[in-house]
Amino acid sequence: MLSRVEDRAHPARLDRDRGLVEEARLDPSRFDALYRKYLAQVYSYAYYELQDHHAAEDATERVFMQALAGLPRFEERVDAFIASGEGSSGAADSADFSTFRVWLFRIARNVVANERRRDRRRQVSSLEDAAELSAPDNVVDTATAREAASAAWEAVSRLPEDRRRAVILRFVDEMSTAEIAAILGRSEGAVRVLLHRALRAVADDLRGRLS
Amino acid sequence: MLGSGTRDARRTERYLDGLTTADDRRASEVPVDVDVDPAVRFAVRELRDGLTRVHPSFRFEEALAARLATGAARQAAGLPVEEPGAAAVPGTLAQFRGRPTGGTDALVATAVPAALTAFAATTATEVAGSEAAGPAADGSAPAPASRARAIWPAAAFRLPEIAARQPRPLIVGGVGVGVASAAISLGAVFVAWRHSHPATSRMGRAAREAHGRTAQSGRGRRPRVIDGILGVVS
Repeated sequence: MLSRVEDRAHPARLDRDRGLVEEARLDPSRFDALYRKYLAQVYSYAYYELQDHHAAEDATERVFMQALAGLPRFEERVDAFIASGEGSSGAADSADFSTFRVWLFRIARNVVANERRRDRRRQVSSLEDAAELSAPDNVVDTATAREAASAAWEAVSRLPEDRRRAVILRFVDEMSTAEIAAILGRSEGAVRVLLHRALRAVADDLRGRLS
Repeated sequence: MLGSGTRDARRTERYLDGLTTADDRRASEVPVDVDVDPAVRFAVRELRDGLTRVHPSFRFEEALAARLATGAARQAAGLPVEEPGAAAVPGTLAQFRGRPTGGTDALVATAVPAALTAFAATTATEVAGSEAAGPAADGSAPAPASRARAIWPAAAFRLPEIAARQPRPLIVGGVGVGVASAAISLGAVFVAWRHSHPATSRMGRAAREAHGRTAQSGRGRRPRVIDGILGVVS
């Protein structure tokens, strides 16, 4: 089973947005397709990082405005990364790797980091917001889901900053290790270790709460 | 030779990749690796259930789409995506009432008499037209030109006082200020026009005649003053 999983190509290393990016470069009004595709991902990242609905909207707006303005300067770097060995753990390789999604999330990371620096009051998590994320019709399911969301989010919010970011990018935005490494400016090996340690810390936290 | 920490981290990554692949394929079964730390499996299960992707409101989505469309149009035209300083309408800080020296003094000395001159010329034309038309149909006399001139003495006496006051800053700028200024000017012109035209109804004429009698007391002085300032209505 694992060998099959290992054989799986890293889909993010082939920029699936190349066509949309080219269209948007020729005609900026076509940027709308990229915006619709990534709105929820960028907003989710900002929302989990800033823990405030309005701050997340402001950050999302800035991210997409900056992306539109910077699109002519965006440079896809996928082929060079693959040619360089694709799995090496050097930070320089991750920095060289860039798809549109990675580039967009690098902008998002900077915008969110600036926002967090501006407002340190948002260090405290808003559990009510996290609890409202899932709202199935069944009342029992709703209560259970809310409890799970609250507990999970509480555990994540207590992680150190770099681990928390890696977890959000992995579980909310479903990014590969290579993408996370490129966005955070770390090596793939470092991100693997970050995620592994983050998961162990979350498990300890949740088990402590359950017991 | 990999350390145990690195080996565990790689195993965890493979496990996570397997889950993602299963999601992509919408597979009902998820891969299980018995070598993966049970604590990690537990945390992954909780986080996959708890950390869901969220979507902003439809209103926000459409508003931002509109802003991006505007920005794209600007970019296509070779302009910056965001208009610099578009958020605030700039105003200019001007000194409305100034000391005897400087631009404010010049404003009082030239702009105010010029406005008065323009107004008086308009009024004189209207009054002359009324007089040339002869008596009204009911036999009442047309409005004398002095009636129009009698509106301005108070303003004329105030001019030196205005010039002597201490300077006070005034924000001038934006469409709102211009509209308000125009409305005030139109209001003043309308009041002056009403004063310079005879009332058509019997009651109106009676009221105006009564008002005219009370204003007669200072009449000998005021026309001379306004004539001296305007120099056109005579």
